[in-house]
Amino acid sequence: MIRKQILSFVALAFLLTLAAGPGVAQDVDKLNFPKLNKLEVPEVEKVTLENGLRLYLLPDSSLPIFKGSARINCGGYLNTPDKVGLASICGTVLRTGGTAKWTGDEIDEKLEGIGGHVETYIGNTSGGASINVLSEYTDLGLEVLAEIFRRPVFEQDKVDLAKVKQRSIISRRNDEPMQIAIREFKKVIYGPKSPFARHTEHATINAIERQDLVDFHNKYFKPQNVQLAFWGNFDSKTLVNKIKAYFGDWVREGDPIPALPEIDYKFDNEVYYVHKADVNQTNIIMGHIGGLTTDEDYPDRIVMNNIFGGGFGSRMFNAVRSREGLAYSAFGVYTANISYPGMFYAFASTKSETTSKCVREMIKEIKRMQKDPPTKDEMRSGKDGYLNSFVFNFDSKGEVVRRLMKYDFYNIPDDFLAQEKEKVEKVSSDDVIKAAKANLRPDAMRIVVVGKGEDFDMPLEKLGLGDVTEIDITIPTGEEKKELVINDETLSKGKKLLDKAIKAHGGLKAYKNIKSVWRKATASLVTPNGEIPMPSEGIDVFPDKSMGFYSVMGRKIYSSIRNGNIGWKTDPKTMKLIPMTEEDLLKNNKQRARNTLRIFMNSDDPNYQAVYNGSGTVEGTEVNWVAIVDKNGDVICRFGFSTVNNELVCKTYFSEDGSVENVYSNLTVVNGVKVPMKSVRNVNGQKVMTYDLSEYIINGEIPDGTFSKPEE
Amino acid sequence: MKNSKIGQTIVLICLMLLTTAAVSAFDFSELENSVSEFTLENGLTVLIMERHDAPVVSCLTYANVGASDDPKEYTGLAHMLEHMAFKGTTTLGTKDLDKELELIAVEDSVFLELRSERKKGRFADSARIAALEAAYDSARDASYEYVIPNEFGNVVEREGGVGLNAFTASDQTVYFFSLPSNKIELWMAMESERFLNPVLREMYKERDVVAEERRMRSESSPVGRLIEEFSSIAFKAHPYGIPVIGHMSDIQNYSRQAAKEQYQKYYIPSNLTIAIVGDVKSKNVIKLAKEYWGRMKYRPQPERLGTIEPEQTGERRVVIEDPSQPFYIVGWHVPNGTHPDRPAIDALADYLGQGRTSLLYKNLVKEKKAALNVGAFPGFPGNKYPGLVAVYAMAAAKHNNDELETEIFNEIERLKTELIPAEEVEKIKARAKAQFINSMDDNQGVAMQLAGYQTLWGNWHELFNELDRINAVTAKDIQRVAKKYLTKKNRTVGMINTEES
Repeated sequence: MIRKQILSFVALAFLLTLAAGPGVAQDVDKLNFPKLNKLEVPEVEKVTLENGLRLYLLPDSSLPIFKGSARINCGGYLNTPDKVGLASICGTVLRTGGTAKWTGDEIDEKLEGIGGHVETYIGNTSGGASINVLSEYTDLGLEVLAEIFRRPVFEQDKVDLAKVKQRSIISRRNDEPMQIAIREFKKVIYGPKSPFARHTEHATINAIERQDLVDFHNKYFKPQNVQLAFWGNFDSKTLVNKIKAYFGDWVREGDPIPALPEIDYKFDNEVYYVHKADVNQTNIIMGHIGGLTTDEDYPDRIVMNNIFGGGFGSRMFNAVRSREGLAYSAFGVYTANISYPGMFYAFASTKSETTSKCVREMIKEIKRMQKDPPTKDEMRSGKDGYLNSFVFNFDSKGEVVRRLMKYDFYNIPDDFLAQEKEKVEKVSSDDVIKAAKANLRPDAMRIVVVGKGEDFDMPLEKLGLGDVTEIDITIPTGEEKKELVINDETLSKGKKLLDKAIKAHGGLKAYKNIKSVWRKATASLVTPNGEIPMPSEGIDVFPDKSMGFYSVMGRKIYSSIRNGNIGWKTDPKTMKLIPMTEEDLLKNNKQRARNTLRIFMNSDDPNYQAVYNGSGTVEGTEVNWVAIVDKNGDVICRFGFSTVNNELVCKTYFSEDGSVENVYSNLTVVNGVKVPMKSVRNVNGQKVMTYDLSEYIINGEIPDGTFSKPEE
Repeated sequence: MKNSKIGQTIVLICLMLLTTAAVSAFDFSELENSVSEFTLENGLTVLIMERHDAPVVSCLTYANVGASDDPKEYTGLAHMLEHMAFKGTTTLGTKDLDKELELIAVEDSVFLELRSERKKGRFADSARIAALEAAYDSARDASYEYVIPNEFGNVVEREGGVGLNAFTASDQTVYFFSLPSNKIELWMAMESERFLNPVLREMYKERDVVAEERRMRSESSPVGRLIEEFSSIAFKAHPYGIPVIGHMSDIQNYSRQAAKEQYQKYYIPSNLTIAIVGDVKSKNVIKLAKEYWGRMKYRPQPERLGTIEPEQTGERRVVIEDPSQPFYIVGWHVPNGTHPDRPAIDALADYLGQGRTSLLYKNLVKEKKAALNVGAFPGFPGNKYPGLVAVYAMAAAKHNNDELETEIFNEIERLKTELIPAEEVEKIKARAKAQFINSMDDNQGVAMQLAGYQTLWGNWHELFNELDRINAVTAKDIQRVAKKYLTKKNRTVGMINTEES
């Protein structure tokens, strides 16, 4: 039946071409093109200031814009392993954290008020800045750049903001599967600790302090390490004078910058699997170490890349995408860097059910690069594309001047690109096969597969590509249960953190002014049958009077009344007020000692010490732990202060009930001090009570007789 | 299409239509005067801007057809056609056209049989499906024998073309690349041929590629999943609610016949604009356009969509519980891109959520540190029809969407009661001016804007009038549109709440 239909459809076939017009089909090979207008490679002016600052200038008056780009010789590779992310945060806060002259917010206002941009970053192997303002604001742009480079102040608030962002990036890093694949592949190739692959963790971000950024900047931001490129609407001579005014007195000093680390790579077969349950598509990336831009056969590899996996007609694209329909995204490239080896990799994303099929197709194409010499057409595509589009290396002024700046840094000749072009012109099909044989190692590849393994067409083990190692991408929380260590460092840090917290809550002075506090609240007791709300009040008159009661069914139940050395409490059996025993008084003293207000107002009392006790998380908030220790070295309580704003998040202590944790929220300012209006009490991990303040009266009038035993 | 950017496109288009304003110090009339416009007899609009800085030229074809025009049961067809436009022509991409067309016909007939059997659902004959599937596979393979894959793209790249790509959005489909300027005739020949004598070859294989694209962008991406849900509830009648890439079952059911019909309806000269910016001579471009594009026959413009999104009567909300991190988006219905309220709405979006000094960034990111990022943009998912002005926010670690929402709504309520300070309005205008000048720095960007304004407004000169429109906006206008549009009953909320695994 199918056969029969062929004939009838032949007639329709003509229609299927959608021929809409009568025109004669075009043969593009027969077109004759006029000669290309001469390419005026713009001349870049290079100037080196006396202090070693290097300038690259390319005026262009076509639009009233002033643009620039900077390169700073530093990078994330200089971070120590415990502070990965330092350089990157430095690069961010450099711009956002203000300068000697302006706050970060003022710079934002200045720039955004004129639609201008100045941005800074520090990457793995270099730092940089970009500037874009209308040329009427050239001076402002230059001054902002100079301020940022020379006199950044790294405002604490903006350091905190950058850390919050970094932490959020960490917590989001497993959302997009392609991102996971590339990240893990880099670690698989360069090694998880390599500066070229490692990434931030909560712990490394937590470890970074403002001072670290100050130190990093001081060490590397020196004029001899900085290059500045400008293009746009300016007169070079005038601009150089302006730059001298802003940067000329920047003092050349400091040590040479350490070189990039060496890479030690051993070719082998490794298969890694990352489980991702919420996807129906597998991301596959495979390959090994790559090469350098300055390698002898780099031009051969340019052609090889184009044929293998670069563009539309490449083998990867044709096979994996067009022929097999296995992937939308499929490409492969042997990358190279100037300063350290790149990677060779092939990438594709395919539906879970075709994972192994896709892996095999990819390997097949890699192997074929070494076997099947490029056809005439492939050579034409691989070379002509590069050669014919060469002019696009020069169509943007910014690109020209930035490239030159980079070449100059690495001592690569200005005409490197032109030399490369000449070499590419001479590349033969043999050269491509030779390059593929010399550089590709399909027999020794490392493969990372990210997907939902249970839906794969075949277990990865059965591919015969080696043992499969599962990578756990669970994000470490950065929490460390630390034994309390009391030494100079933890003491000084603890004191600093406590002081910051007091400041964040209104300052020591405000606390010193507190004579009395009257709290009215609803305490809700958590029971298996639900919460039982109990109105409650508490009064403290410092230093030695206090009173607290709950109301149950309209009747007051006193927790305690203290007046100097005497006191009363409600007897749980008779529900009557009885005098406190010696033991009761001691217990009550302990309660008094861990009163937050009391600790804050007496933070300068040398009998008590604040000890830093590591960082952690309380119900989702990152905190620094500070233990309050008495003169015997006994822990009175432990505060968790927010790492972001130093506010009190939590207090923990041990009582006869067990391990108690109070979690605070809804901080509100009363008489100049910040008070948590809500707290939740957990005992031994169980929520036992919530406490909602309705009134908080500081230095109010206290009724007479509050601290005497009331009439029964 | 190599990397067709549906998601980003939306943003791109928004930016495109936002880049507004003029400038005193710089003479824009000179730029404006360097644009030539020419309409061929068949209705094709040709826009040219001569720029002789470097011997390169950027060319694009702007088709006034997008996902909004997809027929029922064929969502995503505009996007599929975009992919098919890279499959070659009667001369490019085939080893033997006659044989290939014969086999394509077989492929179609088998597929239609198969599809109709499958559509019977539980009444389908499974043995027949199996037989048809086998026949279908072999028919696909047979026709593929005559294909020279990706020849269209190969020729472009080989001849020095760069940035060969295309995108489909709700409003439009745009094809572009840049060339050494001496090869403008190559673009004329290939691009006109592409739309005059296309062959929809490899269509059924390409459906699988599109399905993978859908898995990548929408199904395996948390934000992709959210945006799809969000749009679908924001628009109950208008096709702006339908995903540009289409629904999976529709993608798998595309027939060549349906593609062809859609193609013939919309890829006609009166529905296309071409824009050429670079080192060319207008006279020569017009001559070549006549020679190559003039071969297409005149046909009147296609009838436009009649569906109007009804007024919203209550807040709509979708919450996805997902293991990924929180994401929040809220959108309010606003008029289309040419409506007189739009400049004020654009200014409002800028003030609210564009840049570090915007209201929401200052509050949520800088002060509260509750968000990693926040932004506002008008014209989602398009500007041709009334769309949304949207605000999105990504909660910082340990913060949640509820907090962000409260803050966003508080700020918006404040905007309704307090006037924006006059100097802030001036800053909005200054930013628009700088953005506009910068947008003129890139040949392809200029080509995109010219063709975009020509299509949306029917007049590319409107690009150069944006400045006047934005400069006329007052603080009161901004407050008025905030009150008018940013209301509770007019909003749709979408969010991803992190579900602990």
